[in-house]
Amino acid sequence: MTSLGPAERAVLLAFADDEHLMGQRHTEWIGVAPFLEEDMAFASIGQDELGHAAMLYELVISDLTGAPPSAQAVDALAFRRDPADYRSCWLAEAACSEWASALVRHWMYDTAEALRWQELAGSSDVRLRDIAVRAMSEERYHLRHADALLDALAGDADAGARLADALAEMLPLGVALFDDPLGADNAVGSTVGRPLAALTQEWQAAVDRRFGTRTWGSIETVDQARRTLRSAQFATVYADMREVIMLDPEATW
Amino acid sequence: MKVYEVFLKKQGKDEFRHVGSLEAANDELAIVLARENYARRAEGELMWVVDRDHIHVGDEEFIAPNADKPHRHNDGSVVAERRRAGRADT
Repeated sequence: MTSLGPAERAVLLAFADDEHLMGQRHTEWIGVAPFLEEDMAFASIGQDELGHAAMLYELVISDLTGAPPSAQAVDALAFRRDPADYRSCWLAEAACSEWASALVRHWMYDTAEALRWQELAGSSDVRLRDIAVRAMSEERYHLRHADALLDALAGDADAGARLADALAEMLPLGVALFDDPLGADNAVGSTVGRPLAALTQEWQAAVDRRFGTRTWGSIETVDQARRTLRSAQFATVYADMREVIMLDPEATW
Repeated sequence: MKVYEVFLKKQGKDEFRHVGSLEAANDELAIVLARENYARRAEGELMWVVDRDHIHVGDEEFIAPNADKPHRHNDGSVVAERRRAGRADT
């Protein structure tokens, strides 16, 4: 029984790809975050995002097949598509070698993510509502974590300067998160909520409250071509996340 | 950074139990980080984090200078013996 059309599927797969890439990038901080406790917390947040990605991939597959998704089918979507078939935003793909950038990206992404789940929480599809409720309970923690760190660092001159640089670096990518994926134009609002473009202003207002006001029109964003183009930093994360599964693609885990 | 002691309480009648400690910059970060470090696998539902500097310590020299206190332990055997003797007399 298929109840999702191609457009709704495009919306959910783009969200799943964002969660997948974001989770993968966050977990790269295990062992190298600024201190032990943060190391554990940040990687754990990354695991939550991977869990959200899995729930969305599983929903898309079970909707198409009418049966519970096999692990192989989920892996095929998560790991075995060509780069051109992913619909992740460049904010989630970015490498972020500086902790300040990773932290600002974490806040930006989770602020946007909370808005996206809020849309799905109002879905007419109970499967989406259930996933959204679960994810929102974790997002409350993610945002509190990001805010607590930013609050603690705000009073320090050196940290403030680093965060300002990180903000300037990440804003063009943050704006580009709201690029709706190819094929999503006629998605049914009562199923998947408003398009990303319609959430931009709420997100920008939140950024202004957190980091101070700015002129949004002057920010040069990046052209992801409706999320059909992968960023220069995708290739390395793609290779890393497929490293094990490609040793034996047919293995049953 | 300050050191915090972390206590968790599971549902039901369990009391809070000490589960470990961590370093954090302030109270809010202590709670936020303790959640992921000590409760991410649903080990408990309620948490206390306590700044270690706020703990008043009674050291061993004051609290337990002498563990040998048989006079503090009444197992009832003396009373039982007396009552047994009383019953035998009647």
